Amino acid sequence: MTTATEVRELQFRYPDGCEALRGMSFGVGEGECVGLIGPNGAGKSTLLLHLNGILPERFEGAPSVFVFGQPVSQANLEAIRRTVGVLFQDPDDQLFCPTVFEDVAFGPQQFGDNESGIRAKVHDALRQVGLEGLENRAPHHLSRGEKRRVCLAGVLACEPRVLVLDEPTTDLDPRGKRELKAVLQKIPTTKIIATHDLELVVELCPRALVMDRGVIVADGPTVPLLSDEDLMLAHGLERPHILQHRHPH
Amino acid sequence: MRRDFLDRYSRLDSPVHRLSAAVKLLVALSVVVATVVIPIFGVAYFILVVSFLAGVAAASRISPHFLLKRLLFLEPFVLGVALLSLIQPSGGRVFATIVVKSTLCLFTMVLLANTTPFAELLRVLQRARVPALLVTTLALMYRYLFVLIDEVERMKRARASRTFARTHVHAWKTLATVIGQLFVRASERAERIYAAMCARGWK
Amino acid sequence: MHIPDGFLDAKTAAASAVLSAAGLGVAMRQARMTLPARRVPLMGLAAAFVFAAQMLNFPVVGGTSGHLVGATLAAVLLGPGASVVVLTAVLLVQCFLFADGGVTALGANIFNMAIIGSLCGYAVYGGARRLFAGLHGTVLAAAFAAWCSTVVAAVNCAGQLALSGTLPWSVAFPAMANVHMLIGVGEAIITALVIVAVAHERPELVEANGAPRVAGVGEGWGGFVLYGALIAVGLALFVAPFACSWPDGLDKVAETFGFAHRAARESVVGAPMPEYRVPGVGSASAATALAGVIGTVVVFGLAFLLARALVPKSSSEQD
Repeated sequence: MTTATEVRELQFRYPDGCEALRGMSFGVGEGECVGLIGPNGAGKSTLLLHLNGILPERFEGAPSVFVFGQPVSQANLEAIRRTVGVLFQDPDDQLFCPTVFEDVAFGPQQFGDNESGIRAKVHDALRQVGLEGLENRAPHHLSRGEKRRVCLAGVLACEPRVLVLDEPTTDLDPRGKRELKAVLQKIPTTKIIATHDLELVVELCPRALVMDRGVIVADGPTVPLLSDEDLMLAHGLERPHILQHRHPH
Repeated sequence: MRRDFLDRYSRLDSPVHRLSAAVKLLVALSVVVATVVIPIFGVAYFILVVSFLAGVAAASRISPHFLLKRLLFLEPFVLGVALLSLIQPSGGRVFATIVVKSTLCLFTMVLLANTTPFAELLRVLQRARVPALLVTTLALMYRYLFVLIDEVERMKRARASRTFARTHVHAWKTLATVIGQLFVRASERAERIYAAMCARGWK
Repeated sequence: MHIPDGFLDAKTAAASAVLSAAGLGVAMRQARMTLPARRVPLMGLAAAFVFAAQMLNFPVVGGTSGHLVGATLAAVLLGPGASVVVLTAVLLVQCFLFADGGVTALGANIFNMAIIGSLCGYAVYGGARRLFAGLHGTVLAAAFAAWCSTVVAAVNCAGQLALSGTLPWSVAFPAMANVHMLIGVGEAIITALVIVAVAHERPELVEANGAPRVAGVGEGWGGFVLYGALIAVGLALFVAPFACSWPDGLDKVAETFGFAHRAARESVVGAPMPEYRVPGVGSASAATALAGVIGTVVVFGLAFLLARALVPKSSSEQD
């Protein structure tokens, strides 16, 4: 299996001195769906921002993140961002254009597609998330779940090979969660999902990474990992209900 | 505050709504400029304009009640300043002129705002080669206005449920804290938006 | 201070539109040159912020209330060029979506609030900033600058109304100037409090546009000269005729170019305003002017005290 994303000894310190990542290493194969879990403050969001080069602000020293073998560095940021699509936590941060169509078209436009190519990609992306027909809607007229799905469409329109999602089901009502889960299940792209929603991880991700205080503390198949009550509790988590009565293998 | 208090009816369907934004903008601007420039003695013009606006309002299918409310909301300011003009010879004529012209222009702009989605007006500006920096600022401003106003409401409510003193000084302090917090949050959000724009290839 | 349609005559509206367009052009060039890419979203958010903040009223005196203009605040936090663009965006949206401020008056409104507000505010801020060190000085300078720019903008607005024949200068000047000397205090206080709040949580936002930019010579100075010239021309056109009883400069210009003269004659009011005299005009305007001078000194002192109260001695020594 080709390695889609590889992280080697990643370290990161914020300008105010806070050490967010303290030497992480892992690899994600093409087509895999990996759940990234951990308590608040573990550094999940910080890690995700490294996967498409938003962080660090200045690249110094040896590269620590590789996408399909290419190092993430200043020189190839554009190529990396075409390959790795990131869905941020707050849809309002990501939905910044006046209409749905323009927002989903933003990525393809920046990457230089022509008009008909853009239109095709937008329609395709909206169809994938189940929101055809909303092209002319203004963002402030959308529900939270719809906003999330439009943001996802905006990322899918860039046709990334790796999809990184930061807390995709936060703030969604049960129906919103179900709809998003259904959409994600149908997307075959490599996926890395950072979330507190342990049920989501069990349902979508065969493999899980547990993070705490800037390091990876566990990496393996989801069900045994999340059924390990001691491990879960030690890192600010808990065994999800869906696994309460299952026998850990 | 209602999400669409600025342009509640801009997405209705009517003959007026279906016209292109550029046409509506041009017509509105022409009406406003003509109304301001043509002297009040040109009664024929003003009768024409009134009938034209009434016709457009009817065709637009916007609730007349809403249009009237918008007009009345804006009118007091006009009247207030106009009243000062009475303190001069022939002040009566000046006053009448101002009130008539101002009101007609107000009504024209209210009609424009409520028959044209802002996004379309922005596109007209883009095609008119208005500098990108201004258009981007306008677009982002419109998009995040409601988000910020929501945050203001939430902060005010949170403050209100924790405060019991009602002095003037206190009102000032609350106001300043809210505004200060609002700017900090706005700038933090701007950073996140920048990250999101870069993530999709913005240069 | 938003002038609606119908209050300005063609020549005044046209003149201010030309001045505003020039000022906006310079501002956009300056903003593009000095603003890093990561600050561009901040301009949109700052515009939304100013719009939202302008919707909050504060009590002035008696039953009246004023609202923030925010130009000086934006100039201190974003730089003068960006501030002009931000305030212009706010005024455009207010005009086209809210019918707050007329379309024909856009030139005047932009000139008063966006250009004079930002640049006069930034200039006074830059000068006053050098008198005291640290955050204390920043807050003092910003508060004082906010008051000054509000008053200057209001006086300019009065001049535009008088030149159009809508209100006589003897009424417009005292009315606008006095009211805004009071509203300006509110603007000063809010500006100070916001700067303190921002300095505590995001100190880099206050430092980035503080003293260094003003003290340095470089790409900023060309812009300053142009801005200064623009404001001088504006004041000369709109205020000087009344303040100095010069012949009406703008009418002369309009006559030379032929276009506005006839329109002015046939427009809103028959008699051109500058010759009009209200009994006691000398005293009302002179009193207001005197109040302005005294007010300037008083407000500077108040700003000093305010800054002292808001910024504890220890933190200003650390700067």
